[in-house]
Amino acid sequence: MKVKKAAFFFLVSVAVVGISVFCSYGTAMSADNVIRIGVVGPESGGSAQLGQGQHQAAQMAVDEINSGNLAGDWKLEIFFEDDEGNPTKSANATNKLIQQDKVHVLIGAINSSATLADMVITGRAGIPQITAGSTGSTITEQGNRWIFRTAVNDEFQADALIKYAKEDLGFKKIATLTAADDYGQSGANLLAGAAEREGLEVVSAQTYNNGDKDFKPQILSIKDAGAEGVFLWGLYTEAALIVRQARQLDLNAQFFGASGMAAQKLIELGGDAIQGLVLTQSFLPASDKAVVTKFVNGYVERFKDTPIPHGAQAYDTIYIIADAVKRAGSTDAEKFREALASTSGLQLVTGEPKFNEKGDDTGKYILLTTIEGDGFKLFKTIEN
Amino acid sequence: MKSEKKHLIYLAAGLLAAASLPFVITNVYYLHVINLAGIYCLVTVGLNLLSGYTGQVSMGHAGFFAIGTYVSALSALDLGVPWLPGTILAVLSASLCGFVIAVPAMKLAGSYLVLATVGFGEIVRLVLVNWTPVTKGAAGLVGIPLPNIFGIRITSEGEFFYLILVMLILGAGIARRLADSKIGRTFIAIREDELASRAMGVPVDRYKTAAFMISAAFAGAAGSIYGAFSGVTSPDNFTFDDSVAFLCMSVVGGSRTVGGAVVGTVALVSLTELLRAFQAYRLIVYGLILIITVIYMPQGLAGLMFKKHTREESEADS
Amino acid sequence: MQYLLNGLPLGAIYALVALSYSLIYTASGVLNWSQGDMVMLGAYLGFTFMSLAGLGFGPSFVLSMLLVAAVGVAVQRLILRPLKERGAPPINVVIATLGVAITTRNVALLVWGPNAQLLQSPVSSNPIGIGMLRITPQDLLILAMALLLMFALQYMLRRTKEGRALRAVAQDRYAAVLMGVDTNRSDAVAFAVSASLGAAAGILVAPIFFVTFNMGAGIGLKGFVAAVIGGLGYIPGAIGGGFFLGLLESAAGGQISSGYRDVITYAILIILLWLKPSGLFLRRRQQKL
Repeated sequence: MKVKKAAFFFLVSVAVVGISVFCSYGTAMSADNVIRIGVVGPESGGSAQLGQGQHQAAQMAVDEINSGNLAGDWKLEIFFEDDEGNPTKSANATNKLIQQDKVHVLIGAINSSATLADMVITGRAGIPQITAGSTGSTITEQGNRWIFRTAVNDEFQADALIKYAKEDLGFKKIATLTAADDYGQSGANLLAGAAEREGLEVVSAQTYNNGDKDFKPQILSIKDAGAEGVFLWGLYTEAALIVRQARQLDLNAQFFGASGMAAQKLIELGGDAIQGLVLTQSFLPASDKAVVTKFVNGYVERFKDTPIPHGAQAYDTIYIIADAVKRAGSTDAEKFREALASTSGLQLVTGEPKFNEKGDDTGKYILLTTIEGDGFKLFKTIEN
Repeated sequence: MKSEKKHLIYLAAGLLAAASLPFVITNVYYLHVINLAGIYCLVTVGLNLLSGYTGQVSMGHAGFFAIGTYVSALSALDLGVPWLPGTILAVLSASLCGFVIAVPAMKLAGSYLVLATVGFGEIVRLVLVNWTPVTKGAAGLVGIPLPNIFGIRITSEGEFFYLILVMLILGAGIARRLADSKIGRTFIAIREDELASRAMGVPVDRYKTAAFMISAAFAGAAGSIYGAFSGVTSPDNFTFDDSVAFLCMSVVGGSRTVGGAVVGTVALVSLTELLRAFQAYRLIVYGLILIITVIYMPQGLAGLMFKKHTREESEADS
Repeated sequence: MQYLLNGLPLGAIYALVALSYSLIYTASGVLNWSQGDMVMLGAYLGFTFMSLAGLGFGPSFVLSMLLVAAVGVAVQRLILRPLKERGAPPINVVIATLGVAITTRNVALLVWGPNAQLLQSPVSSNPIGIGMLRITPQDLLILAMALLLMFALQYMLRRTKEGRALRAVAQDRYAAVLMGVDTNRSDAVAFAVSASLGAAAGILVAPIFFVTFNMGAGIGLKGFVAAVIGGLGYIPGAIGGGFFLGLLESAAGGQISSGYRDVITYAILIILLWLKPSGLFLRRRQQKL
């Protein structure tokens, strides 16, 4: 009986502490000329590496801008919430950021399904939302004027890869091996479309579910179909496993990938088997551009880890916000949205951002790179 | 008799308090979380009839919830079916699936049944992901229309609150009625001793199938409102983790009462939100609270709150 | 044929995890959902000993098995024992072990971060060919170690005092108590051995599947499926169930569709259970959770 009571009091006190901490957020309103930024992403769960990469890079950009007074007389205040990659929890987190933390702009989410759920909330509240990680095509095709996307454009990447395979390598038969999530499924569609336009034959279109560890059945099918090039669309962990298992099964095709998997970890995990993989990305860690080296070196120094593309995109997004609020001179949703929409002339890590009327960033760099030794080597820059 | 009157007074007071909630709480975030908890309550009330009363533990309830959501949303999007008939369709298809899974499930018990239900949940989710021409794949459905019931349009969180409240009262009422009826007592008899019930001539298989179908129907109805409430839906909402979360809500609240489902669901949904204050530690704390609750409150939260009631019930059980 | 060969090492891993479920279930009647996360812990500890402390594969293997065994005992002492003493319903035990899984997974995320880690294997992953078929030394190592551990378990169960006590409790818990067996001790032994089997599975797959904080979810679920399909609580059944699942997955993915692989696997399993409700290798028996 006693223990029961003790446990009950424990629960109650946890709730009380929770509520009080929770409410203190709402009251932490600060002085004028502050723009509050909310960030939603999967900081735990299956895509935690993406959410945490986004979190760290965004925090770093905010600190740089605030300490260097880079946003004129504006200060940035940032709030992070975890959505576990779950759309329901993402909508809750978005609601919390808007209602409790009173954010003026939302960055998020990463999983397209979560981003779509958040858009219902931001659209209703009339708050600009920028997704730095979702590539799903439905996001910018709903006529929602509050949504912007700074994630790389997968269509351009698919086109560039397919063109390269046809024109430079002379391939005729290709295979796709893509994740059965929104990123992989939209990638598979774009690849198939580009292949049809270029007259390449997709001899095998395989998929895998996230969390799968054994890709040998798919690899054997691709081998039997006689593909010359295999196009992967997914994240680095699975990509590294696939190339390793392909080598074990003697599949000697050329592998291709897109920016979603571009991370130093890919090379580390892929070992010998990953050498020679061709992939498109929007920035080269070993670049000689000052903005890129500042980001990469700063990130490595601060987090003892190399940045992922989702981090670079979030980093740029913060700079875009800082620039927009400086020009708008206000956090008023309409004025701020206008300023965002007319972004131009910035030289950032992943490109020179410029939004089209749908909200897509059309200024992303597309670099064709290959893995050589322990780094990426640039061999072609695609002009949009 | 006297206690029954008291019950009615409590019930009326509770309802009045509940109905006035949107006037007291104007914060959209709180209302959103409350609405979500209400929808989940509908799922767990149904789950309790199956797992708590009949003793058929389901770790695949997200599957039924998903079917309700997708059937209602797709019939609205592709065929223009209004929300109310869509909900009926959702309830029917979910209970049809309940029937299908009951066929193998009625022969199974314990971990074997758990495996069958886990398998069902995963099959539903994977079909939703891979059957792209119909389900639009992993990115899911967008633009699910808001409910329009006989000309009453439900748009704001406050209006959704009343719709959900009405559905929950209806659902909980039906569940209570069922639980107190001969059917409910038969469910309990099957849970306590299946062999003896069989020996007494109870058509155990038929009752088990009924339990699955009723339970699935609740999840289907919840799914229908969930789709309209969120406006979007995707397979990411219906993972194994979600099925596990439903079971946790049911057990933490007390799986052998209807009220327990409501208490447990509200507690865990709000806990998940409250723990946001712990940032990176929140899921660790969540796991620990789960462990402590089931150790120190074997009857669930409802066991503490409605002590007298559950004691009566446990006496009836033994 | 190649499909079958590919399924073997996978099956061996499932078999080890299935054994760990089955052993705890036999000995203490508990369905422990944190087994998958013991696999993850084993893999991470192995990685930590090898990459950060610079130990060899062998010592790391043994050390992490021991450490994870200690975690298993802690779970039994701190969580299962109080639950049993209170006479909590079996479903509460399931939820408590799910709580352990959530906590362990997120502690790992905090400690080791969200990135996948690579554990270097002592043997090569380059395939050797036997006719048209190919298998890697790493796969052979997995098979050999798994078989070795299965035999060691059999030896332990049949020849040691602790093992005999476990078997006695499994046969009839009440009678075993009357015979002077300390069931608390035997429960602890079961948890320790199960956890270390999981850890072994973790270190064995780490070189080919990498180490991630949420690897336990997938492997744990598959291990549970294998244990049930073999007849939960039946040791040879767990081994058979593991290999059966490994081969079934490999064949389903290879012959039909990759996206629907798990759909097919689960559908076949449900139908099999329908036909044979107490697993493939066990005769019908009244089961309770």
